[in-house]
Amino acid sequence: MFTAAAESFLKQAREIQEEELRRFASRVAAVLQGPELGPEAADCLQRLHLTVAATKYPRKLDGKFVELLQTVLCSSKSPEQIQVLCAAILREMSPCNDLILSCDEIQDTKLLSLVSSVLLAQGNKKAEVSAVGQRIVKVLERRLPERQGARHLLPVLSNVISLSPESLTEDQTNVVSKKMADWLRYASIQQGAAQPSGGFFSNPRTRQPGPVTEVDGAIATDFFTALSVGQYYTEDQWLNVQAFSMLRNWLLCYGAKGLKTPNSDDKSGTDRSVMSVVSTTSTSSRLLPPKDRLREKAFEYCQRLIEQSNRRPLKKDDADLQKACLIEAVTIMDIICKQDSSYVYRAVSFLKILHGRISGDVTYARALLPIAQFFLNHSKMAAVDSDAIYKHLFTDIPAQLFHNPSLAFEFVQFCKDNTQLFTETSSIFRQSFPNLFKFLAWNSPPLISEFVDLLPLLLDAGTAIEIFHLLLDLPCLTAALDIQLRSTALPTSEKAACDPAVKPATCLEAFRHPLYKSMFQYLLRTKSAPEDAPERLIPLRQLLGSLASNPRVVQCAETVPVLLELFFRVVAEFADGPLINQLVVLLLQRSDQLYEIPAFKDDVYRVLSSQLVVLCKLRPALVVELSTEILEFSGTVSNIQNKEAIFTHMVWAIGEYMSVSYDKRCTVEQINRFFETLEAMLFEITQLRPLASTPSYAPRAISVLMATLTKLAARSQDLIPRVSMFLSKMRTFVQSPAVTSVYCEEDLDEILIRATELMNLLKMPSVAQFVFTPPVDVAGTRFQREVNDSLPFALRIVTRLLEPAPGFMPG
Amino acid sequence: MVRAFVLLALGGPDPPRPAPCRVLYARAFGTPPGTTPPGPGGPPRQRLRRKEQLLAVARQVASQCRLLQSSSGRPSSPQLPQLPDEPISLQDAPGGLFQLPPGDPFPERVTVAWLSVVALAFALVCDPQENLSLAEITLRRLAPRLLASLRLLGPGAEVLLRPEAADVLLDRLLPHGQMLFLNEHFLQAVDREMGIKASR
Repeated sequence: MFTAAAESFLKQAREIQEEELRRFASRVAAVLQGPELGPEAADCLQRLHLTVAATKYPRKLDGKFVELLQTVLCSSKSPEQIQVLCAAILREMSPCNDLILSCDEIQDTKLLSLVSSVLLAQGNKKAEVSAVGQRIVKVLERRLPERQGARHLLPVLSNVISLSPESLTEDQTNVVSKKMADWLRYASIQQGAAQPSGGFFSNPRTRQPGPVTEVDGAIATDFFTALSVGQYYTEDQWLNVQAFSMLRNWLLCYGAKGLKTPNSDDKSGTDRSVMSVVSTTSTSSRLLPPKDRLREKAFEYCQRLIEQSNRRPLKKDDADLQKACLIEAVTIMDIICKQDSSYVYRAVSFLKILHGRISGDVTYARALLPIAQFFLNHSKMAAVDSDAIYKHLFTDIPAQLFHNPSLAFEFVQFCKDNTQLFTETSSIFRQSFPNLFKFLAWNSPPLISEFVDLLPLLLDAGTAIEIFHLLLDLPCLTAALDIQLRSTALPTSEKAACDPAVKPATCLEAFRHPLYKSMFQYLLRTKSAPEDAPERLIPLRQLLGSLASNPRVVQCAETVPVLLELFFRVVAEFADGPLINQLVVLLLQRSDQLYEIPAFKDDVYRVLSSQLVVLCKLRPALVVELSTEILEFSGTVSNIQNKEAIFTHMVWAIGEYMSVSYDKRCTVEQINRFFETLEAMLFEITQLRPLASTPSYAPRAISVLMATLTKLAARSQDLIPRVSMFLSKMRTFVQSPAVTSVYCEEDLDEILIRATELMNLLKMPSVAQFVFTPPVDVAGTRFQREVNDSLPFALRIVTRLLEPAPGFMPG
Repeated sequence: MVRAFVLLALGGPDPPRPAPCRVLYARAFGTPPGTTPPGPGGPPRQRLRRKEQLLAVARQVASQCRLLQSSSGRPSSPQLPQLPDEPISLQDAPGGLFQLPPGDPFPERVTVAWLSVVALAFALVCDPQENLSLAEITLRRLAPRLLASLRLLGPGAEVLLRPEAADVLLDRLLPHGQMLFLNEHFLQAVDREMGIKASR
């Protein structure tokens, strides 16, 4: 608990001044140089550590003092606690220029480990990593007495090779590989002896320890592994576990390099594997080079682990470890097969059996991923058909286990690691995208950034429309998954068949109700299935409205705008004319069919409206081609309030692109038709009504309507008188008391200014025509492209030209 | 390899006391070579960067934890157990996995595994290909032992004043950032070495 005491300590530690620290350090130095390093020394060092650690800014400690810390650390007289504290302080200060530490002379392995932790924190400026690596290998090479604790050294080595694999020479890696092979394969299978407790009454003849057992209590059947159980452990058994723990890293760093044996090329790979199936390995393996021998032993170890994972453990928590071991074993086998393809045949049959064993058990689901990865990497070589494995993985697992956040995370990583899977259009991976989105729908916060990477891979001309609908319905999916989970959890007695005549009272009832069942099934589908009639889900969306404030649903809804924007950005790169048109139509259609979460709808409208503009810019002709749908949308008054953003942008696009310069098919009749519709809309929203009932509309909607009408009039000049008259009435509108009470003053001023400018522009029809309908080559210039910004600018210039202020004379 | 272990106080915006997320204990396992900027100002800047990276991880963990709590409808400041020595059940302890992209805050991509208990959280910063099942197991083992050894649920501030206690625990269960495949009996042997009484 972060308590007041802790907060206060931190504050104090941060506020200590340099002078005070200096004095404290000299006091600590005095204590450390004293004869006995007892509780007072520990206390001082603890406080010093906090002082250094509490702030991210450097704390200057005198070089001599730092040297003293190092001396105390390395001194055999220092108690362990003091040593650990000195190391902690030195690490906290790292990288540190005043280090004189060296691991060269240290014999004691525990101290060596401690000193290494300081050296490895220095960032390798003076090749400390390499020095540590060399020293560790040297110590390991000597035969250490039983209690010396090589087990303190292996983790250091693992750290060294993670930081800098080049630290070790090939000879050194061979030495270690040799030892690792022995530790993995030949650890004792007798339990360790209990340490004699000593004392007067202890029996000097300790009981003979028995053999190690398996996790289910049976006597161990084969060599010792991490899944072997005993009361006490011997040193080599510790080394066995540690060697396995670092095995993957080791193989990745050193397993593949320099493999230049005569049998290493592919052609003889089959011969070697046949040989290894027939012959037992133990006699011939001693003659193998260390790398190959380690690989052999590692493979056997993994096989044994996989067999051991079949046993039911006596201790419940061992089950988790079994699964972790299983995953590690399969991963290591995969690496071994990559490094030496002769192992593939042995591995394939083995892993197929394993897959058969665990595929029905949901608790083993996470292990299915490395198995699938193995087959992805090697099945071609082994000429094995692994489609069933992928099918099960992508069809069943997400549907059953979307609610398991760890599995969800790893599954998505698997997809990201194997992006080549998604390039084939007909592949099972690609077709399963509705299933993949279940992970996101349920576990939105940790997975949204992963899906930002994944979404572009799933999008193409064939999937774009379906994914568009899916994204808009993502929060619905969350709600449906929630209902599905709750329904599955119901005892069978409550899952009574529903009476089709009676409307379901709750979402849970609706899940099985014939009216809604197929809608749920569609939403929860596991494979891509383009829907021709998206309005079919309207009743379901309404039903799910009761879950709209469910926190998980809300979290999911927050991810949709980001994904939508990404969707459009990606689609814009490949979409052709028909697809763009289809998207615009659907965009307008779906704006009516969104899940009822207010913030969600606003955000979606915002994204859809700006993307609508992007689509129109990409393909201006769509305004003409889709004139029916667009007319209908822009002629619906309720849209001005309910979907203001989309409406405004749509009207702007009409003004911009309904022109013969963008599409030769644009006729005067079409322009007039649009004009009349929009004129009616503007009329509707600027009507003066009795005070009480004046609704307010977004000022920018009024502005954009005026501007668009003007633009259309500039192209069909018969309309100019009508627009001018309308615009002149805006003054009355803006000044009426009913309106001033509902709109704010700045907005009304802007509307009036805009109306005036537009009117003035129309007084010079040819200028208006140029400004509003430039020839297409001019339209490409920056001036015209940023119309939303430059139009007011243009209008102001023209206004000034028409009504020159004193002192302003055009050149 | 595990690059770092972080023990943090979640903090939070809620009453009774809005508090920032704080790193109570952090241990980085080795400094990757080439990360220290050249020149005399290099080492302090490297250290500053390390501290800030770990704080960034802590903030992300706190944020993910808050989001997970709110999505499952649980209260964000759960009740403390009555007695500080009462064994905490980690059965329902919230936890998760997330990734941090390259450059933010580490140069390479990292995966963070985290576990939260009451108002604290424990996090492992792992390389992307790490065995995440083992990371979760390791967290579930570190958490109760740290809670007990540093009396993290009590009113004191031992976590700040006894870094060696945490170091010793990490040295056994996560030596130099190496996660270990320890079965329950091995774990008991480790506990015995550290002088921890077995709970079962």
